[in-house]
Amino acid sequence: MAAVSNPDAAADRPRHYEFPILGRAYFLGGRASTAVKAALSGAEIDEDTIQRVAIACYEAEMNVVLHGRSGYLTMDVYPDRILVAVLDQGPGIEDVELAQTPGWSSASEEARTLGFGAGMGLANIKQQADEMRLESTVGEGVQLYLTFVRRDENHG
Amino acid sequence: MTLAGALHIVKAETLVQADDEQLLLTGCFAADLMSDVLAFAHPGSLLLTGLTTDQTIRTATIKRVPAVLIVQGKQPGSEMLEAACEQGVGVYATPLSSYECSGLLMQAGLRPYRKQAPAEPAELVEGGRGGSE
Repeated sequence: MAAVSNPDAAADRPRHYEFPILGRAYFLGGRASTAVKAALSGAEIDEDTIQRVAIACYEAEMNVVLHGRSGYLTMDVYPDRILVAVLDQGPGIEDVELAQTPGWSSASEEARTLGFGAGMGLANIKQQADEMRLESTVGEGVQLYLTFVRRDENHG
Repeated sequence: MTLAGALHIVKAETLVQADDEQLLLTGCFAADLMSDVLAFAHPGSLLLTGLTTDQTIRTATIKRVPAVLIVQGKQPGSEMLEAACEQGVGVYATPLSSYECSGLLMQAGLRPYRKQAPAEPAELVEGGRGGSE
């Protein structure tokens, strides 16, 4: 997993990470999120924040794996917050409002055999993140932007 | 209840040994949907599931679940077991169903993790709930 980080960057610059996600590579699904969690675990960030980011990333990653052709996840760690973007190329989402309805799913039978596709992904992500923005162009892809406010008190 | 204690109760066979079988479980959660595990399971719980793919292990890792109990005599593939070794997640198998395991573990005192005590249905509480604060 190729992770790019800049530990030496100036204190006010975020630490930046990028993780590729392969569409349809079912058995790799979750690799990027596992790497996200490992990156955060070594960075003195509180457990609650790590947990929320990791869960949201896992659900978002599985969305790319199950629906997209390819994509990537970027993460920027600031002293007070963590920004995550999950971008994919693929069929996109026709109705982004409908897609966020708990229980609504367009996943294949294959997705369900992996334990996903229950239509709870976006609802779960929304619950974990402090802010969520979902944009999509049909036939092009999906952009998901997430903000997590860090819960730890000694920021940085 | 320790992980070892829970495994004994459900007659589990060890497929990948957990890092610490004497670990005290915070609770137990049963699901085949990994989204449910991500949303509702509590870190430190034992996970009962019939899903035998490496997604189970990734979900356990993300959720800090120390061990997975595969129910109904299902045999996980080598990919799942390799992922478990890599991530340090225990994998155990039992011939019992999820329902039987849940019943036995509950009876033995392994409670589901709850943030707050569940409200008792008023009609079942002797003398009602008057004056409780």
